Amino acid sequence: MAASVSLLCPFTLCRCPILSSFCSCQQAPLCSRLGVAPVFFRHYAAEAKKTFTRDKPHVNIGTIGHVDHGKTTLTAAITKVLAEAGGAHYKKYEDIDNAPEEKARGITINASHVEYTTANRHYAHTDCPGHADYVKNMITGTAQMDGCILVVAATDGQMPQTREHLLLARQIGVEHVVVFVNKADAVEDKEMLDLVELEIRELLSEFGYDGEKTPVIIGSALCALESRESELGVNSILKLLEVVDEYIPLPKRELDKPYLLPIEAVYSIPGRGTVVTGTLERGVIKKGDECEFVGHNKAFKSIVTGVEMFHKSLERAEAGDNLGALVRGLKREDARRGMVMCKPGSIKPHQKVQAQVYVLSQEEGGRHKPFVSNFMPVMFSLTWDMACREMVMPGEDTSLTLTLRQPMVLEKGQRFTLRDGNKTIGTGIVTEVLTVTAEDEVNWGG
Amino acid sequence: MQCVHRVLLGVRGVVGKVHAGCAFHSGAPRLTVDKALLVKMRKATGYSFINCKKALEKFANDMAQAESWLHEQAQKEGWSKASKLKGRKTSEGLIGLLLGDKAAVMVEVNCETDFVARNITFQQLVKEAALAMMALHLQRRQSSRPCYTKSVLNGEDLGQLKSASDGAPLANKLALAIGKLGENLALKRAALLAVPPDFHIGSYVHGALPINDPSLDGTSFGKYAALVVCRSKEGRNAEQLVEVGRRLGQHVVGEAPSFLGCLDDLPCGETETRMMVQSFLPDPSRTVGQYVQEKAVRVLDFIRFECGESDHSVEQS
Repeated sequence: MAASVSLLCPFTLCRCPILSSFCSCQQAPLCSRLGVAPVFFRHYAAEAKKTFTRDKPHVNIGTIGHVDHGKTTLTAAITKVLAEAGGAHYKKYEDIDNAPEEKARGITINASHVEYTTANRHYAHTDCPGHADYVKNMITGTAQMDGCILVVAATDGQMPQTREHLLLARQIGVEHVVVFVNKADAVEDKEMLDLVELEIRELLSEFGYDGEKTPVIIGSALCALESRESELGVNSILKLLEVVDEYIPLPKRELDKPYLLPIEAVYSIPGRGTVVTGTLERGVIKKGDECEFVGHNKAFKSIVTGVEMFHKSLERAEAGDNLGALVRGLKREDARRGMVMCKPGSIKPHQKVQAQVYVLSQEEGGRHKPFVSNFMPVMFSLTWDMACREMVMPGEDTSLTLTLRQPMVLEKGQRFTLRDGNKTIGTGIVTEVLTVTAEDEVNWGG
Repeated sequence: MQCVHRVLLGVRGVVGKVHAGCAFHSGAPRLTVDKALLVKMRKATGYSFINCKKALEKFANDMAQAESWLHEQAQKEGWSKASKLKGRKTSEGLIGLLLGDKAAVMVEVNCETDFVARNITFQQLVKEAALAMMALHLQRRQSSRPCYTKSVLNGEDLGQLKSASDGAPLANKLALAIGKLGENLALKRAALLAVPPDFHIGSYVHGALPINDPSLDGTSFGKYAALVVCRSKEGRNAEQLVEVGRRLGQHVVGEAPSFLGCLDDLPCGETETRMMVQSFLPDPSRTVGQYVQEKAVRVLDFIRFECGESDHSVEQS
């Protein structure tokens, strides 16, 4: 163990590799703890790179639609068609387990996942049976859907609950929907297909989607599976995939966003200045960049005068890198863990947010009792007060308003965990940032 | 009328190709159904395109006749669909709560996915069931003096009840909804509480869905619901009693007591199942017993429904 560490880290006396060139002497215990971790992290990352190399961009999609309209058949058909081109393993209908229970962050979600590759992209395809499962999926972020395929049977047309499906898609932030009108082989009169299409376009517009431009593909997943009527069968599936490739945009890459570095530790290095360390959450950081420190009721700007990783000076560090940044004029007591360093103006501290939270059921290790307004759980290292809806039962997902004791960096889409005592009681995602009003100035009981 | 003939698989819209043009059917059209009528029919009735078309063909575009035929057909199809889907697991659904004059009804109707539970067609069915139960109560009350009644029906008996709107059994309504929604549905259970004039029924529905249709007024829907029978010791104002009843109901939903217990019981910690000695949910520093004493209220009974919970609780009560 020691040998391997020293091999990777020439500064054998347990010097923090991140800081090593900044510092001439360090407190050994602190350094060793901090120092070893990034080395291994790096090591793992290098290995992982070999196995997970993707030459195609990755996109998460899902299917929604009525239970009998052929979501699973469609998924099976997609894998079959792509398997012929080598982009997937063919999964038979029976093999696509209808929503096995899985655990994400300790939460039980019913979902089935299938992966496949088209000519341009790699897809993870998710299907959940219920509304609550999709919402849990969104909260835990296991597979945030970038787009989805709405499956409608030509024989039935949209079902009354299709409205609820689209409402859900809106709620979980799916902005791009592609429609697959299935079972077209069972409809004799082709004009009927026009009407089904017309109706679904109308409905899409009603829910704020672009009903005019939304691609609607007509076909039959069953035909594709049974290799008959290739126009309605295989070709429609290929067409669908082509349209999904085109219509559902790639998610914005983390590197394109303004940088954000949550501060893990702060060190002062005699003769050089103060260094903050952490893992770059997103974006790219360069020497000479302007920076802003936010959090713990503070906000101030400065300039990054050096970026170091593994005792090497870097021109630029990217999202995911564990780095140390030397900051001009920073004093050690100015910054502390819990603050972030970011591109000036890109992020603001907030004290009150709206969040969608899933409350763990007892089986999942949560509380067995509900909680009521003014319950005070702890989130990360921040203290919250929450004013929630009257009562939340374990195993429920709900929208809560959370008020923090002091403004902390928070933004839409940020995930968090709520804990009470030694238990994780729930996990959530910030859906909206609210302004603090006078009546929120509650007493915090010291 | 222009005939829009689609080249199969041609995608309209985003791809930008609109395969539209004037084309004639190769086969001579026998009895063409007016497309505008068909769309209108589908909008008005909500039945599938295929059936709407059949109906219009059958009655030569006579809307009224076609519609009544469709209703008939829907009932038949509902039954066949119901038997086809029978056995599929229904674990989602809603509890419907309806308050009357010194009476309250709770019904549970189940479905397969929670999407359907959010749909208005389903909610109307739940309301229908609640109304039927309430009608039963009103009928009974005419024949006897007002007294304390508590009746719990299982799914089968509930299906036999006559709908308050048109007298058809609820099972018919259920089949109709199954046909429409395409999911297995089940009338699970219902409870009716009726009390003499000096009593009050407190109620609480948890996880209530926003109701956005006037046809559902008066009923509340949720995942959990509770009714608590209480009696005020002195003439307290009704409004306050409503609030006390609601909070007690909330407690019952949240803490799920199994028994009422009595005020002199000794509490036994976290796992307490006797309501009176449980710590009161909205204010854990007191027990429920202390709370009701303070409010000068006596609790006599309670019923709690949790959507999708196993059957034994029905038999218990």
